Amino acid sequence: MAVVLVVEDDVFIREIAEMMIRDWGHETLSASDGDEALSFLRSARHIDALFTDIYLKNSVLGGCELAQQAIELRPKLRMLYTTGNFVTDKMRALFVEGTQFLSKPYTQHQLQDSFVALLAA
Amino acid sequence: MAVSDIAASDIVETVPSALIVLDRNLNITSANRAFYQTFRTSSDETEGCHIYDLGNRQWDIPALRILLENVIPHRASVEGFEVEHDFPTIGRRTMLVNARKIFRPGDHDGSILLAIEDVSEERAARAESKRNWQLTQSIVDTIRDPLVVLENDMTIVTASKAFLTIFGITEAETHGRRVSELLQHQWDVPALRHLMEKVLPENKPIESFEIEDNFPGLGRRVFNLNARKISQPGNHAHRMLLVFEDITDRKQRERDSLSLTNEISHRIKNNLQVIVGLIAYEAKWTATPCVQGYKTMQARIGAIARLYDLISQSSRGRTVAVDAYLREIAKAMSASLLGNMSGIDIEVKAEPLEIDPDRAVPFGLLVNELATNAIKHAFPQGTGHVMLCVEQVGDQIELVVADDGVGMKNTDSAKSPEKRGSDYVAIFVRQLGGTMIPLKQEPTGTTVRIRLPLLLVPPGGAERVAA
Repeated sequence: MAVVLVVEDDVFIREIAEMMIRDWGHETLSASDGDEALSFLRSARHIDALFTDIYLKNSVLGGCELAQQAIELRPKLRMLYTTGNFVTDKMRALFVEGTQFLSKPYTQHQLQDSFVALLAA
Repeated sequence: MAVSDIAASDIVETVPSALIVLDRNLNITSANRAFYQTFRTSSDETEGCHIYDLGNRQWDIPALRILLENVIPHRASVEGFEVEHDFPTIGRRTMLVNARKIFRPGDHDGSILLAIEDVSEERAARAESKRNWQLTQSIVDTIRDPLVVLENDMTIVTASKAFLTIFGITEAETHGRRVSELLQHQWDVPALRHLMEKVLPENKPIESFEIEDNFPGLGRRVFNLNARKISQPGNHAHRMLLVFEDITDRKQRERDSLSLTNEISHRIKNNLQVIVGLIAYEAKWTATPCVQGYKTMQARIGAIARLYDLISQSSRGRTVAVDAYLREIAKAMSASLLGNMSGIDIEVKAEPLEIDPDRAVPFGLLVNELATNAIKHAFPQGTGHVMLCVEQVGDQIELVVADDGVGMKNTDSAKSPEKRGSDYVAIFVRQLGGTMIPLKQEPTGTTVRIRLPLLLVPPGGAERVAA
């Protein structure tokens, strides 16, 4: 069982994603923006993986910026990005090395496949 | 006659310049062969004459007189005195006159050796070059985009008025300097330097090299640099024309448009994610036999989302390039349905045709439905070939989706997924105003042919703009 921090500003999408993740036996932590996520990351809570939307509230690349800070705080953290936007090479260059990406809309099976790969890496 | 005198007269006779010798009264005592040839005259008409009386008194010029009359008394010389005149025998010419005092044996007063060089052609060429240069400069100054002309060694020969005005520098600050040295070295970019070094030797123009930087008095600006080799007919020297196009406003519009597209895309995809999430939640509480239907529904929603991305990538302004669009669909299907290890491959053969974005989604869904059907049902052994082909046939577009699989089974049951797939295909074809060509029984594989109207772009809507 892993602890996954889910960062998504759309409440419905975040809760459905958390529900899917919990169905596979994992524990979830919930954040709607970078600041909330960072408070978890700076705490003593055990976190195995970060699943973050890239476009967070008004920040087009908020998820990328969050991931950069997260890896500095927790170098072993595994990361899965998601976005509905077309991922440009410029955006990909901002991804933390060795991380995974899942485009929206994703199904429960696609999310599960991504998590299996993420946690097995 | 002494040996030295013979040698001197030989030299005088063989030099190409016209030479005459004058006594202290400026009477002509002798002239060489070149003089007679140049002025088409003879020794009878020349020797013994006063220099000012020659021809139509072409040498009787006050300024020249002062100079010549000072040669013997003051050992002065005449250096490069230019005379432009209509000569009676040879027409309008430009002559360069040089003179100095000489002493010959027994001549205690001394004489004047006058050398006259015909520089008409050289002066005409120089005047022509000057006129050309003035013309070039006036053209350069009328062009609104700032530009510079560079010498072979990359130094600036001239900068247009627009260049000097926009960048707030003087002509003196640009002349003889490299572009990379100007201002605060904004143009000192290794990639640009590398490209510029190829313009003249390899005749390789630079097209749209983009530089964004802060410029004094201008603020943050984006410039597109274009360079090409220029040459003057009959001249082996080449120069480089470097034009700076200010694209700051256009760039800002593109960025605003991209930002808007991203915002819209974010909202659309989030809404589709909500729908896919709702279906996932429903599927969780649904009996197992029905789950496949929900999955298929999610896959079709996923296909619409992918098509949305593909349309924006294949867009040429207001139209979508069918060839690029089909290739992107094939790539996306290979990634989502086949994976790297699959024995099934998708090939695309497409002519460069265009459709408008409104029809791109049903067209993409039609291709998606047919190709997905082939991938899922034609290859029970897991290996095969799917072909997506678009070509113009008369006044129609023919879409062909073919596979070399096991062939199509007759499925009439309304409950079967294949039947529903066929229904969707029929709907998309009707939506696009097309017709399906009846399937032929083939020993192997399935080939679906669909004819669509050529005018998939509405009249007046086919504005081709580079993507």
